[in-house]
Amino acid sequence: MADDKHRGKLKATLRNPSRRRFLQGVGAVGAGAALVDKLAFPEQAEAQAATAKAAAAGAKVRVPLNINGQKREALVEARTTLLCALRDHLEPAVTGPKLVCDHGTCGACTVMLEGKPVYSCLLLAVDAAGRAVTTVEGLGSPGKMSALQQAFVEKDATMCGFCTSGFVVSVSAYLSGNPKPTLDQLREACHGNFCRCGTYPKVFAAGMAASGPPHASLQGDENAGKGI
Amino acid sequence: MADTAPKKKKIKVPRVVNGIETMVEIEVDDTGGPVWGPNDKHRLLNHPLTRVDAPAKVTGTAVYSYDVRLPGMLHGRILRSPYAHARVKHIDVSAAKRIAGVRAVVTVQQMRAQDRSGAPASGGSPSSVQEVRYEGEPVAAVAALSPEVADDAIHALRVDYEVLPHVVSPDKALKPDAPKVLAEGNLEEKEKKGEQAKVQDAFKQCQAIVEAEYRTQTIHHSCLETHGMVIDYRGKDSATVYASTQSTFSIPPDTAKALDLKDSKITSVVEHMGGGFGSKWGLGVEGKLACQLSRQAKAPVKMMLTRHDEFVTAGNRSGSWQKLKGGVAKDGTLLAFEARQYRLGGIGAGSQAGQPYIYNAVNSYREVYSLHTNVDSSRAMRAPGHPQASFAIESLMDELSYKLGMDPLEFRKKNLKEAVYHRQLDRGAKEIGWERRNRVPGTESSPLKRGIGCGVGTWGGGGRPQCKVTVAIARDGAVDVSVGTQDLGTGTRTYMRAIVAEELGLGMADIREHIGNSKLGAANGSGGSTTAASLSPAVKDAAVNARLEMASKLANLLQAKPEEIAFSGGEVSAGGKSLRWKQACAALPSSGISAHGEWKPGLSDNGVHGASFAEVEVDVETGHVRPIKIVQVQDVGLPLNRLAIESQINGAVIQALGMALWEGRVMDERLGVMVNPSFNDYKLPGALEIPEIVALIDDADSRQAVIGVGEPPVIPTVGAVANAVFNACGARIRELPITPDKILMSLQPLGRTT
Repeated sequence: MADDKHRGKLKATLRNPSRRRFLQGVGAVGAGAALVDKLAFPEQAEAQAATAKAAAAGAKVRVPLNINGQKREALVEARTTLLCALRDHLEPAVTGPKLVCDHGTCGACTVMLEGKPVYSCLLLAVDAAGRAVTTVEGLGSPGKMSALQQAFVEKDATMCGFCTSGFVVSVSAYLSGNPKPTLDQLREACHGNFCRCGTYPKVFAAGMAASGPPHASLQGDENAGKGI
Repeated sequence: MADTAPKKKKIKVPRVVNGIETMVEIEVDDTGGPVWGPNDKHRLLNHPLTRVDAPAKVTGTAVYSYDVRLPGMLHGRILRSPYAHARVKHIDVSAAKRIAGVRAVVTVQQMRAQDRSGAPASGGSPSSVQEVRYEGEPVAAVAALSPEVADDAIHALRVDYEVLPHVVSPDKALKPDAPKVLAEGNLEEKEKKGEQAKVQDAFKQCQAIVEAEYRTQTIHHSCLETHGMVIDYRGKDSATVYASTQSTFSIPPDTAKALDLKDSKITSVVEHMGGGFGSKWGLGVEGKLACQLSRQAKAPVKMMLTRHDEFVTAGNRSGSWQKLKGGVAKDGTLLAFEARQYRLGGIGAGSQAGQPYIYNAVNSYREVYSLHTNVDSSRAMRAPGHPQASFAIESLMDELSYKLGMDPLEFRKKNLKEAVYHRQLDRGAKEIGWERRNRVPGTESSPLKRGIGCGVGTWGGGGRPQCKVTVAIARDGAVDVSVGTQDLGTGTRTYMRAIVAEELGLGMADIREHIGNSKLGAANGSGGSTTAASLSPAVKDAAVNARLEMASKLANLLQAKPEEIAFSGGEVSAGGKSLRWKQACAALPSSGISAHGEWKPGLSDNGVHGASFAEVEVDVETGHVRPIKIVQVQDVGLPLNRLAIESQINGAVIQALGMALWEGRVMDERLGVMVNPSFNDYKLPGALEIPEIVALIDDADSRQAVIGVGEPPVIPTVGAVANAVFNACGARIRELPITPDKILMSLQPLGRTT
């Protein structure tokens, strides 16, 4: 019995790692990172200093955020991820990025940080302080879609749509660095995103279509949707 | 013409309970009614149509249940059992309750006492001690001001378990001294069919016999939006539930029981949902717990499962263990067939189509059992039971054909009666280049060996009378089509618009659709591929009725008989006179038109078929399998939207590849727990693995009727891949997934690894 109890407790610890415990564990590494960032991002360094005190007390810190070009402020705990801040702590919420795997595997929470795609479930909100965050909402609106968003519509690159925000952001970020990718390069760019409905072939087709003149398509003529 | 009561006829329609489909006979009026007309004469249907909700999805503005945030809303979390079998002796909630921001704590025992649905069917009172029968079974839940604090509270709950013996391995569950998973035992007989003695005699006449065991793994739905909902209840007499569900109308009755309210006081809203694949029905334990948390805190509660929760307590595709024996005559005829099938559904029944599945055996006998283990119950998953059965029988048929020295394709045709399979196999064979296959597997000199295999599948689908659709035309020209149904990502909204637009001679942008609300007209849950076949006829009927009513209202103005009035190109015209749509609508009575529609038997059908061909490359030095190309031929009756159907086929093929090659739950037998409950460790198909997929709609199917196509294309590819692996390198892998270790182990004795 005693063994069983011990086993249960050990397992519970291993299987449910909390962010607070994780933060405690990486405190030293975090401090080093803060020092480096202080030079480049003074606002962030300030927020991190407040964070260090708050973390111990479980208190909240005000984090200045720059979301899709708008200055916002989130009142969050130090351990709050950027994703959670966007979805659960900002008013109004920014819900384009989705929480799916919570482990930095599936890419549904992808946003751009200073133009680079990042998993917002792995980034603490305080680490995004003062840095430009672009979510899928910042790339276009239903009435004014980007060329890539339009291509996603035309090629039928969305089904249930829960992964779509992440794919749109990942591919957008990639195309901004490499506007004329090969199909293999585009696949590689999508490798950090999962889709369970199986839209991959259409996502590739959309990415290739948005990158300029037609390349060899993955599928036949039926890809051409009618926007009637 | 004599006045007679409408003639009746009996038809078979699907009935779906929790995603599992059975056919039942009903009586309907035999009065003709609307027809679709020839499949190649449609203006919008049977064309590639972009999704009407795609702009919202690609810009992140589509609102899913997970995105709903209400003022004062709390965040719920569930505490799960870490043991595969235990009694919950005591739960100490005091520490959790002391955490700042925690607003409610409820145990499953308390929930069962509160919830009207929790009482045992026999009428007795719920037991005072909860017995958990699988790792992950919920034992308590909390609600707090933020998700982070809810996590803390879960860690602060102290549970005293009495750990009981468990069994998670099917092989061990069969042993006489195995711990009992259910009170009735671990083995439950489901079916015995055929005459065993006759089959045994028939085996004596056979030219070739293959006897083998096939196993399929447990795989997970892995819906990207986890199960869950937001319960908006503030202690009054009504509530609204924003649910991620496949059945809008399954939510109000469950919620009413949990909150002790009237069904009619509950509204469920399913604006968008992030995938279900068969697993999302009703409120679930998580929803019932959320209701009790909401009652306790008198505040709305969002309860979305975590990804770990989702793996261990939100269902799965049942595994299978199939012992098959087939015997054939010299000409390839399957003379004798015998099967012992175990459905591996954990504490649930599991599902598995009866063998020899779609093949004709002159003499056949089967025994089917549910074999229980201490793991979460399986749920319906995209064509429940079919991919499992298809993989095993397609493998056996392949083995028999090679043993007999017959072309696997010709061998299949010999044992498949329906002409549709022959047609689809021929088309797929031509597309993949069947003649390129290896006559003798594994003879390519390169260590990268290519091979081709095939498989076949079937599904019922079909519609039944259960949807009530309204089409309203307003004097300002607005056209609204409404029904409470849900869109799982299949394109429901899009074909609803297309049907109405086509009927009224309008464009897609002229129609607005309203779905996902239980206060709208009734609709069936999306299971068994029955949504399109049940809904589209009702939409068509409503649109026809709206057109007829509008025509009768405009008859005087156009000086024509209603039946002479044409609706086309955005105009309403007769006898040389023509009105623009808005002009015509302005002439309607002030209340406009509101027409209703119901399912009509002539507009839907059931029974679809598909053939899949796979080309793979096996690296015999590493055992790695790379899918190169999949060709899938699928009949669908009237294709509502070719673009969406192509996407459905792509998606099903990709899920089938996951089952064939990568996915699988891994259990620790000693601890009784799942060791890979995350997307890091559970291998889903990803962007780098996707082969070329050729999705072919079988237009030779001339049925002018809608049949669902969500599930069927997932069936035949699994077997096709396994057979292609054999054709490539000679490794016959009878246990899924086909991982490199199995390939290498299989090739070693053959001396083919280099």
